[in-house]
Amino acid sequence: MSIRRKIWVKFFLVVLLFALAALIASPKPLPRPAWLGNFLAKMKINLGLDLQGGIHLIYKVDTGAVESGKVADALTGLQDVIERRVNAFGVAEPLIETSKSGGEQRLIVELAGVKDIEKAKEMIKETPFLEFKKVEEQAPPAEIPPLSEEDQRYNGEQKKKAEDLLAQTKGGADFSELAKQNSEDPGSKEQGGDLGFVKKGTFVPEFDKVLFDSNLQPGQIYPQIVETQFGYHIIKLLETRGEGDNLETHAQHILLAIKVPPPVQQQPIFIDTGLTGKNLKNTAPVPDPQTGKWQVSFELDSEGTKIFSDLTKENIGKNIAILLDGRVLSAPTVQSHIADGKAVITGDFTPQEAKDLSRRINEGALPMPISLIGQESIGAPFAHSELVRSLKAGAIGIVLVMIFMIFYYRFLGLVASMALLMYTSFMVALFKMSAGTPWSVTLTLAGIAGFILSVGMAVDANILIFERTKEEIRKGRSLKGAIDEGFHRAWPSIRDSNISTMITSLILIWFGTGFVKGFAVTLLLGVLVSMFTAIILVRTILTAIIGDWAEERKNFIIAGNKRNNFNNGEDKIDI
Amino acid sequence: MYNIIGQRKYFYIFSGILIILSVISLSTWGLKYGIDFTGGTLMEVKGEKTKVESGELKNSLKEIGIEDAVITPAQNGSFLIRYGNSDDEKNKAVLEKLKEKYPEIKNTRLDYIGPSISSELKRKAVWALGIAIVGIALYIAYAFRKVSRPVESWKYGVGAVVALVHDILITVGIFSALGHFLNVEVDTTFIAALLTILGFSVHDTIVVYDRTRENLLRGSSKEEFSETVNRSLNETMARSINTSLTVIITLLAVFIFGGETIKNFTLALLIGITFGTYSSIFVASALMVDWWKWEKTKN
Repeated sequence: MSIRRKIWVKFFLVVLLFALAALIASPKPLPRPAWLGNFLAKMKINLGLDLQGGIHLIYKVDTGAVESGKVADALTGLQDVIERRVNAFGVAEPLIETSKSGGEQRLIVELAGVKDIEKAKEMIKETPFLEFKKVEEQAPPAEIPPLSEEDQRYNGEQKKKAEDLLAQTKGGADFSELAKQNSEDPGSKEQGGDLGFVKKGTFVPEFDKVLFDSNLQPGQIYPQIVETQFGYHIIKLLETRGEGDNLETHAQHILLAIKVPPPVQQQPIFIDTGLTGKNLKNTAPVPDPQTGKWQVSFELDSEGTKIFSDLTKENIGKNIAILLDGRVLSAPTVQSHIADGKAVITGDFTPQEAKDLSRRINEGALPMPISLIGQESIGAPFAHSELVRSLKAGAIGIVLVMIFMIFYYRFLGLVASMALLMYTSFMVALFKMSAGTPWSVTLTLAGIAGFILSVGMAVDANILIFERTKEEIRKGRSLKGAIDEGFHRAWPSIRDSNISTMITSLILIWFGTGFVKGFAVTLLLGVLVSMFTAIILVRTILTAIIGDWAEERKNFIIAGNKRNNFNNGEDKIDI
Repeated sequence: MYNIIGQRKYFYIFSGILIILSVISLSTWGLKYGIDFTGGTLMEVKGEKTKVESGELKNSLKEIGIEDAVITPAQNGSFLIRYGNSDDEKNKAVLEKLKEKYPEIKNTRLDYIGPSISSELKRKAVWALGIAIVGIALYIAYAFRKVSRPVESWKYGVGAVVALVHDILITVGIFSALGHFLNVEVDTTFIAALLTILGFSVHDTIVVYDRTRENLLRGSSKEEFSETVNRSLNETMARSINTSLTVIITLLAVFIFGGETIKNFTLALLIGITFGTYSSIFVASALMVDWWKWEKTKN
C-alpha cells in the first residue's frame, strides 16, 4: 500500500468513526433501519439525580447490637430488605450501597424520579409491616364493572344476527344445519344444537322457563330470542317424555355468545387483630415430625401470646392471614386453641419456601437500626429546567468556541471545529454506551459543567499546535512542514497540560462526593478523548487534505503567516 | 514586541494590592461556609403567587425551635432557607410548617448534611487540597528536572508556586468578599474549583517558563536574560491568551445560561483561570528576572 493510500484509508476510518459516534449520540432519530433504530433508542444517558429529580439519602447504621463478625452479613441483609421495599415502591433501578467512613457504617440509598419524598423515606425507614389478620369469608359483592363500548356494540351485533337466524328458521331453513353453521355453543354445535333429554333445573332459569313453562309444543321453535348469561338463544323443542317431576324435554338451540363483564372476584376481608411483627420473637423452618412436610414455626412475646390465644380460641376452623407489607404471605387455618404463643404456619411448602418464608418473617424488623444523617433531594421540574439550561449553555459554549477558532485560525480552525464536533459526539456516545455496563458513567449537572469546561480545553491542544505552526511558517517552512513541526513541537506542552488536569481530576474523584465526582469524571474522560480528537484526528484529516493546492493559500489555511508584531525581534527594548 | 518585563512594577503593584485586599478580607470577614462544611439544612422553596415575608417566616420557624434560620430570596420567586444543627425530624417539621403557612408553596430542593458527614467533608477537603499540592509540587519538580542557566531549575519551580499561591489567594479573597456582601457560600464545589485552578495555573506558568528555557539554550549569548524572558513571553502570549480564552468563553456560557446550582462553581473557575492566565504572563516570569538581578548584584 502506498503512503498516499494509507493516509486515505486512515481518513476514511476517521469519517466512519465519526459517523458511528454521531449515529449513537444523535438525540433525534436519524434515518436508519428499524432494528438499528430500536437498538439505539435503548441506549440512554444515565442521568444523575440532579438532572432528573430524586433523593439521595445517607443513613448511619447502628451496628452496636450485632456481633462484629456478623456485621457484613447483617449489612447484606439490610440492603436486601431495603431493596425489596424500594422495589415495591416502584422505583426503577434504585442505588443501594453501604460504605464506611471513619468508624461509621453507612447506607446510601438513591432513588431517581421519586415524587413523594417523605413517603419514600418512611417506606425505607419503617420496619416492614408484618400483620396477623382474621379472614372474613364473605365479601360484599363489588359493583359490576360496566361493559366497554366495544363489547356493547359486539353484543348488539350478536342480537341482530340472532334475530336474523330466527327469521331464517321461520322461513323454513333447516334448524340443525343453521346450528352447525352458526351456533357458538361448542358442546352442542356439532350435533346440530342437540341438547339431549334434560330434567327441569339443568339449565339456567331463562332457558328452563322456555322448555318447561312456556307451552311450547314439540317441533315448535320459540318465537322470540331468549337472552341468558351466555348470550342469545334460538330454541326448538323436539320432544318430551315423563310426567310431573320426571318430565324431561329434548331440545336443540343455536347460541350466539355475548361478551360479559369479568367475574367479580370474591375478595376476603382482613380484619385487624392487633398482632404484628413486633410481637414475633423468632421463626424457623421446621419439618412436621409426623408428615415430614415443611412448615414455619414461630414464637410470640407475652402480649402477642395473649392476643394469639384469644384469636385462636374464637376462630377455630377459620383462616388467619399473615401479611407482609399488605401482601398475603399465607393464610393457615386455625386447628386448635393455642395458648403458649408457639405455633406453626402450615402450607404446601418446599424446604426452600419454608426457609424463605421464615426469613421474610424474621425480617419483620430491619436487621440493624438506621438513622438519617444526610439528604439531598431535588424536585423533578427543577432538575429538568437545570438540565435544559445547562445543555443550552453547553451548545452556546461549543458554538462560540467554534466561531472563535474559525475566526482566528481560518481553515485549520475549521478542522479543529470539526474535531470539536467529533469530540462532542464521542463523549455523548461514550455516555450512552456506558449505561448498563459496570463502568456506567452517570451524567450530572456538574458533569455537564465538566464537559463544557473540557470543550474549552479540547481545543487547547489545537491552539498549541496551530500557534507553533504559525511560527514555523514565519520561519519560512512550507505549510506541510510547518504543520508537521507544529504537531511535533507542541506535543510536550499538550502532554504536560493534560497531565496536570489528570492529576487534579483523579484527586477530585477520590475526594468524591456526588457533585465533585461527576465533574472530575467527565473532565478526566474529556481530557483523554480530546487528546485523541484534537491530535490524532486533526492530524489524520490535515495529512489527507493538505496538498500542494494549499501551499499557495497559506493565509486562507491559517491566518497570520505575515510577520507578527509580537515577534519581529528587531525592536530594541530597555529592561 | 510588548515590553512586559519593563513594565513589571505596575503588575507587581496591581497584584500586591489584590493580595493585600484578599488577606484583609479573609482576616476580617473570613469565608462563609456552606452546609457541606458546617452541617445543617438548605432548602429551596418556591411559590407561584405566595409572597413570603422573611421576618414572618423566621418567626414561625422560631415557634418550632429553629432560631438560626437564614432566609434569602433566590431567582424566579423561590427562596432559600438555611439553618444549622438540623436533623430529619426538624426538616419534617419545617416542611409541615411551610405547608401550613403557605399551602401553595413547593419544596424544590432539600439538602441536609448531618454533623458526621460535614466533618468528613471538611477532613476530605483538607486532604484533597493537601494531596493536590503535593501532586502539583511533584509535577513541578518533574517539569523542572533539567539543569538550566543562568537561573537554576528549582527557582522556576518556586516561581510557579508563588504564581499559584497568588491565583488561589486572590480567588479565595474575592469569595470572602462575595460571601460578606452577597452571601455567596463556600462548599465542596468551591474546593473542586480550587483544585481545577491549581492544575490550570501551574500548567500555564510552566509553558511560559519552558519557552524561556528553550530560548536560553538556543539564543545568542549577547541577549540579556531579561530580554530572552520578554521575547519568550511575547512568543507564548497568543497561546496563553487563546487557550484561556476558549475556556473562559465556555465558562461564561455556563455562568450566564447554565443552571443555578453551578453558578458559584463556574464563577470560582472564571476568577481563578483569569488570574491564572494573568499571573503566568505578567507576574511569574517577572519574578525570575528580579531573582536573577538580585543574585547578580549580590555577587
